Parts: sequence; structure tokens; C-alpha cells
Amino acid sequence: MHRYRFVLTRPLQFLPVLFGISVITFILVRLIPGDPARVILGTRATPTAIANIRAQYGLDEPLIAQYFYFLRNLAQGQMGRSILYKIDVLRLIGTRVEPTLVLVLASVVLSVLIAVPMAALAARNQGKAADQAVRIVSTLGIGFPPFWLGLMLIIVLSVQLSLFPVSGYGNTLADKLAHIALPSLTIALSLSAVLTRSLRVSMIAMLSSDIATAARARGMPERIVFWRHVFPNSLVPTINLLAVNIGWLIGGTVVVESVFAIPGMGQLLVRAIFSRDYMVVQGVAMAFACATVLVNFLADLATVAADPRIKL
Amino acid sequence: MSSTLLSVRDLSVSVRSEAAPRLLLDRVSLDLGRGEILGLVGESGSGKSLFCRSLVRLLPSRALVIDSGTVLLEGQDLLQASEADMLAVRGGRIGMIFQNPTSHLDPVMRVGDQIAEGIRFHQGLGKAAAREAALEILAQVGFPDPKRQYLSYPHEFSGGMRQRAMIGVALSCQPDILIADEPTTALDVTIQAQILRLLTEIRDRTRLSIILITHDLGVVAQTCDRIAVMRGGRVVEENTKRALLAAPGHAYTKALIASHPSIPARLSPVTTTEAKAASPLRPLLEVDDLHVSFPSGAGLFSGQPRVFNALNGVSLRVMPGETVGIVGESGSGKSTLARAILGLNPIASGHVAFEGSNLATQRNATLAKLRTDAAMVFQDPYNALNPRMTVGETLAEVLRVQNKVQPAQIKARIDELLDLVGLDRDFATRKPRSMSGGQCQRAGIARALAVDPKLIIADECVAALDVTIQAQIVDLFRDLQRKMNLTLLFIAHDLAIVRNLCERVVVMHHGKIVEEGRSADVFAMPSHAYTAALISAIPDIDPDRPLHALPLRRADSLRGMSSLSLQPST
Repeated sequence: MHRYRFVLTRPLQFLPVLFGISVITFILVRLIPGDPARVILGTRATPTAIANIRAQYGLDEPLIAQYFYFLRNLAQGQMGRSILYKIDVLRLIGTRVEPTLVLVLASVVLSVLIAVPMAALAARNQGKAADQAVRIVSTLGIGFPPFWLGLMLIIVLSVQLSLFPVSGYGNTLADKLAHIALPSLTIALSLSAVLTRSLRVSMIAMLSSDIATAARARGMPERIVFWRHVFPNSLVPTINLLAVNIGWLIGGTVVVESVFAIPGMGQLLVRAIFSRDYMVVQGVAMAFACATVLVNFLADLATVAADPRIKL
Repeated sequence: MSSTLLSVRDLSVSVRSEAAPRLLLDRVSLDLGRGEILGLVGESGSGKSLFCRSLVRLLPSRALVIDSGTVLLEGQDLLQASEADMLAVRGGRIGMIFQNPTSHLDPVMRVGDQIAEGIRFHQGLGKAAAREAALEILAQVGFPDPKRQYLSYPHEFSGGMRQRAMIGVALSCQPDILIADEPTTALDVTIQAQILRLLTEIRDRTRLSIILITHDLGVVAQTCDRIAVMRGGRVVEENTKRALLAAPGHAYTKALIASHPSIPARLSPVTTTEAKAASPLRPLLEVDDLHVSFPSGAGLFSGQPRVFNALNGVSLRVMPGETVGIVGESGSGKSTLARAILGLNPIASGHVAFEGSNLATQRNATLAKLRTDAAMVFQDPYNALNPRMTVGETLAEVLRVQNKVQPAQIKARIDELLDLVGLDRDFATRKPRSMSGGQCQRAGIARALAVDPKLIIADECVAALDVTIQAQIVDLFRDLQRKMNLTLLFIAHDLAIVRNLCERVVVMHHGKIVEEGRSADVFAMPSHAYTAALISAIPDIDPDRPLHALPLRRADSLRGMSSLSLQPST
């Protein structure tokens, strides 16, 4: 299948992207005022103690040399040791991946499950009450900040109705899903709003397209016209929009995991930044970047699968 | 004609708007017999398509309403039928095919599945049985390898094969009536001939009734039994084919017949002997062994990137004051040649020289010269004009950039240009939106003339226009040519128009010039088989000069399928 040849070539393009990201994260972390040694030892530390710590983590070397070590470690599949947790950064990230992954996946699935019926309802009743209602709801969904929505959901569903746990992350699968329900709903409410609007517009355009006319002209009932012809043809723009938003979403876990106290990568990143744990910040940033690149790659795959005309 | 299958009486459709409702169809009455082909002729906006859409109650906009009338299909009034009954009528009794199969076929669904869809719905067959029936239909409409093409997507086909697929989709529901809305307008003549033959063959085999909507009287003359002429939402004339073509009653029908560019030209091409005598012997444009190629699918593992050779060693000389027509089917390299001459396509090898300066060796100097001394007129007159600018602004922009006219004289020059192309001077203040296709094309020509060019390249500039407007634009070119001693490179797929306008013609096929010579000679006695095939495929307005769908050998496999066509092997 020559259309899928890009699966082999595209990863080569990731290398320069990831290299660029490594430079940016390396520099940004070091632009934050403060010093990891001071954070660990407190304000009354002696200069020799600070110098010792700095030497231990290689922080006394020139920036160029530090970056070179960082790259060398990356090439060997290592990200150094966490200053705060005193363990290997990669292992540390490994313990935090699951909650974040579950959170993102659940949010995306929930968003799609909300967006597709909403968009279909609106598009098929364009201009009528149902359409207006969907448009108002989706505008509200975009308008409300997610952290505020999250807090409101906690107050109503967890504190008052006791339907879901307030925060944290569980041990069993059911427990984990119960804990992840509110945070992913928080994300889904705003993400699905964006998707709904995009999908609604493409569906409306497709409903009056020649494809739909031809299907009606051969006697297909509106239900078939819509789900078999209009819907698949409206997907491509929304797939790309979803990919871009998952990129944002991965960064957004920083906020959501903090609000719901989920022990994932976002929370790890926040702690690492506050304690100037350079190695961890670099590691998590690289992991987020890889995930975003991967998501976009998967979106390209989905686009090619959804539309046989597209070649990449 | 035998028993009447469909009987339409006093069908009126109007558009609801804020102002007074406007009548789009005005008491249209028509009958269609079983096995009959009825030609519906008229200009764009005459209501042909709307009439057919109204029959199955699929109006293109919600603002349109059917006011009155009856549509009797074997006694059942379709205008009174329930929506559920209409589902069975649409496709099952009355099928439809459209002008643009590319946009009407579902691009993300396999062709075979689109055909099977109708079979399963209308005949209630299971998956496997529907698949078998679909394969049969694919073979019927001329696909050489149905099993393979069942799995293809529409974009993998050529235009002709897509239209065959569209016909297959319509036939899958086994309708009694097929409405064909400009089914061949977007196709090359040779492919058009094949599709028209396919339609008549299906009619002969299955007694299908066909309503054929077209603007081309030649198509009607070749295929239909009866003709109805529509104008402004009314049927102005209706008669059997021969009677109507031999003795048109209505003035509009007469005008339509008169403007049909049939091959035995009533208008002889302009003889520019006097222009030739006055001109120097040096050619204005010289193309020498021109090659243009495009990369097609870079091979990752196959090593060499593959290239598609759009032009394969084309040589051409155009003398000042000459009118040269370039004809050929889509994909033959006509437009590539035009773009290469203007320096818009990179040249792989060979030379283009304009007034002696060479595009390959003195690129910048030649480009500067081309930009001031050559101009192009485009196919789609509407989209080639900036919708935000008035005609006057568009022309003024060119005049200012070219710097040939004093700023103070721009206004006067615009008036002059508008006079030249036959537009009222107050068109300077109008925007393309409020102009017709013909008026837009006149404005486009005025823009080309604004640079006071020595060479005009017109790329399919009448293809999108109605026949009567086509004739006007061709007359305009003839006029300008005579008045201004213009050199015109006229690219068209319509041989008849080229025959009428151009003194010399160049026939292109697969990126090569296969024949070239005086129009009269080439058309009277084509020496190349391809030219002969092209000419014989033109539907003539005389029904007694039958259409030949000569099979053409083609190199590439998919497009080649179209030439295998439906040879009457039985």
C-alpha cells in the first residue's frame, strides 16, 4: 500500500523536531530563577554544601557541556537522576504514565461520544431549536474555563451527591475509572464543544453536497444518507482538529491533575518545576513532546484511513 | 414511441424570497414514453435541471416550492405521494445521473459498494447477492475487470469511467426512467461519444426511458427521439427531433441552432493574408523541442523518482497576427504548453523564444517581456476575476502596474477597453458577482487586452459558457483579431469552435503534436488516426451524420479502460 508509505518515512522527520524540543526545554528550564541546590538545602546552606551538590549533578559545568551530557544520556536512553526523588528520571516517569494516559484516553473517548451525537442532532435540524440548543451549549463549553468547571463538578457531583470520589487515583480498575470520571468529564466538556462546532459545520456542508443529493436521488432514506455518506465525509477536518487539541490536552493535564490531585505526569511536572528538578522537567517535557508528535502521526494515519484520496 | 410512462402537466415552481415570489418553472407540460429518449435543451438558468429535480421532489433549496401541477408516473401523482412512497420512486422508478460524477460519487466509499447499496435497499437482496448483481452491472456499463473495479474508489478512475460508475449506480435500482443531467458536458468528445452510445444501448436493451438534459444540440441530435427546448422556465417548443431541427418554430430555437458550431462551418475562418503580408518573417513565438515533466510519486525504495512527461518534445512556431488553435483531450498537454510558454511551468529541456528572447537562457528578461506583451484568458471567467474588485479597478490595476498609460489617461483607456469587448461603460463600476458568465469573460478579455499584448493565450475560455454566449465570445475574438492584428493561441477541446475561429490548428495527444496544419485541411482530411477519431466523435447537429465512438488506444491502463468501451460484441 503505497499510500501508507509515510509510516516508514515520517519518523525520520521526528528527529529534527525532537532535537529542537530538547534545546528549547533545556534552555527554558535554566531560565527559571533559582537553583536546585538551594531549593534542596534551604536558605541557610553553606556555600561549600551548595557547591558539592552542584558538582554532584554536573550543574557547575558550562551550559554547553551540560547540554552535551543531556544529549548523550538521551542517546543512551537515559534522562539522568531526579534531584528531588533521588531515582532515575525514566523510572520516575514510568510510575506516573498510567494515570495521565488513562485520563487523556478517557477524555478523548468521552469527547467524541458527546460531540458526534450533538453535531448530528444540530446538523440534521439546522436552524431549529435543537440546533440552537447545541450551539448555545457548545459556546458555553468553550467559554467556561476547565479548572472552574472541574471545581463545580467536584462540588456538585462529589461533595453534594457523593457520586464520584473527590480526588486522587485508585488501585483497582473500577476504582481508577471512578476517580478519572470527573477529571475526564471536565476536559470532555470543553473539548467536545470545539469538536461539536467543527463537526456540525462540516456535516451541514456535506448535507447539501452533491454526494448527499446523489444518495437521495437513488432513494436512500435520510438516515442512511446521513450516517453512511455525510458522516464519513465530514470526519477528516475534525480528525485534525482533535489531534491539535490532544496536543493541548497533554499540556492541560498539568492543570487538571493538580485540581484533582491525580498522581500523573502533569502533577510531577509541577512539583519538578517548583523544586528546580531540572532532570525531571526535561524528562517530562520530552515525554510530552514525544506524545504530541505521536498523536499527530496517528492523526495522519487516521486521515489517510478515513479518506482514500489523501496521500501523504 | 409507445405508451406514455410519465406525464407532467402544468408544473410550476417558484422561489420564496423577501420580495415577491419569482416563478422559475411556468406551467411546464411534457410527456415521456416508455423507451423514449427526450432531450431537454436550454441555457443555464432555463429551468432544465430544476424541472427534473421537481419530478422526484428533490429541490436544490428550501426556498423553492412546487406551486401546482401534476406529475403522473403510470397514474400515480408523485406530487401527492407520501415521502415514504417517494423513497421507492427515487432510484427505484426514476434514477438520476449528473454532470459532475466526481462530486456526486461518494469519495470515501468503494465504487462497488455504492452500486450494491441501491440494490440492497430497493431489491432487498443480501450482501453476497447484491455484490454479484453489482459486478454484473459494472460489466454492463463497460468496466473491463469488474472484480477489481468493484474495490476501487472513484478518484482512481478517469472522468469517463466515473460517469460509467455513476450510470451503474443509477441502473442498480432498476429504474424505468433515467434522468441524465448534462452527463457528458465535463468529458472529452471521444469519451462523450462512448457514454452517449452506452446510454442508447442500455435504452435499446432494457426499454429504459431517458430524459437527457444538455446544452449541446449536437448531443441531442445524435441520441434523442424528441426534443423540448426550454427558456426562462417555459417549454418554448417541443417536437420530434427531425422535425424540430429541420423546421424550428420558435425564434430562440433558431438562434440555438444557428449558434451551434458544427463542423461544416457556415463561417469560414478569418483569412489573414493581408496581415501576413504586412508582418515580418520572424515568428513571434518559437517553441523548440520542449519537454516538461512533473514528478509523480517519489519512490522511497524504488530508487529513481518517477516522472510524468507532460510535454514530450513539442515544437511550434507562431507568426505575428496568426490564430492558432490547440486541440486535444484533457491530459494531452494543451494547458501545460500554454503555461510553459508564459514561464509558469519549469521547462525540463528545449527552448521557448518570445520575440527572439529565449526563456531558458535569458529567463528574467524574457519573463519581463512576456508579462508586458503576452496575456492569458482563463477558463472560468467568474473565478479568474477578483470578487472584491470592480471591473474598472481590475483594469486600472493592470494599467497602473504595466505603466504603459499615463495615470490621467487610465479612465479613458478603461472606457476604450470596455468598448472593445462590447461591454457598456458603466460595467466599470460593477463587480463579478452581479455579472453573467459571458460578461465576466468579456471583462477577462478586456483585462488581457489592457496590457496591449502582442500575444493572447486563451485557455478553454469558452468551455464554461452557454452555446449562444460561446458564439458571441468567438465572434469577439474574431473581431479583435481583425482590428488589432492580435496573435491568438486558442486552446480548446471543442474542435468545432477551433475550426471556426482558427486558421491553423495543432492537435496534441499524450504531450506530443500529432498533427498540425491549416484548419480547413486538417478537418477535411485528417492524416493522423487520432485526429480522425476526435473529429468523428463530435456530435453533429445533423442526425443523419451518425456518431462514431472509435476506440482509441491509450497507453495508461486505467484511462485505457475507457477506450475498451462497450463494443457491440453481441
